[in-house]
Amino acid sequence: MWNREKSITLSKLCILIFLGLLLAVVVSAPWLTHWFVNFSQAGLQGDQSYFLATIYVGFIPAVYLLYSMLGLLRRIDAGRVFVAENVELLRRISWSCFLGAVIALVSVFYYFPWFFVAVAAAFMGLIVRVLKNVFAQAVELKNEADYTV
Amino acid sequence: MPIVVNLDVIMAKRKISSGELAEKIGISQANLSILKTGKAKAIRFSTMEAICKSLDCQPGDILEYQEPDEV
Repeated sequence: MWNREKSITLSKLCILIFLGLLLAVVVSAPWLTHWFVNFSQAGLQGDQSYFLATIYVGFIPAVYLLYSMLGLLRRIDAGRVFVAENVELLRRISWSCFLGAVIALVSVFYYFPWFFVAVAAAFMGLIVRVLKNVFAQAVELKNEADYTV
Repeated sequence: MPIVVNLDVIMAKRKISSGELAEKIGISQANLSILKTGKAKAIRFSTMEAICKSLDCQPGDILEYQEPDEV
């Protein structure tokens, strides 16, 4: 039977898979970018180092984001949902998305499709930010309810 | 907060313990402690009614407004 614990376990598993994929991309980045630059018809010869720079710099907010999501799920699993720490984690996740968007936006100068990645990351950051505001309000309401006798 | 809870004063006057009062009004000792120590953010009318009934007092005997600099 499907339940809350299984759902959280699935979410954790998905994050670990993404973490694994991220590490695989970073480790194989030199070969991956080499292949992509040669495969692409967009005339990207000479841009491989830029691609590498984007991947390596983007790795930092991406891994931080995934780590924060794991922390969030760990707290939810422990029954601590509407707490100030989760609001802080959501804020950090949101800023990680925005940082990723900035990195992708800077990368537009050598490869335009990064623009779509930037828009997607910024939009995701915005969604998480709204979620953070909802959580902050929920924490206040919970505190008030907890201290109503 | 400028609202001061004088529950411990009334309890001392009535010579009633926390455990006894908590049992009489039907709340946990932990919640009564929150109320006594002034950490409570709100009090339900039903709780106030039970306290007043148990301690034979008025809400004004329990809650008092003080200017912030007096607190």
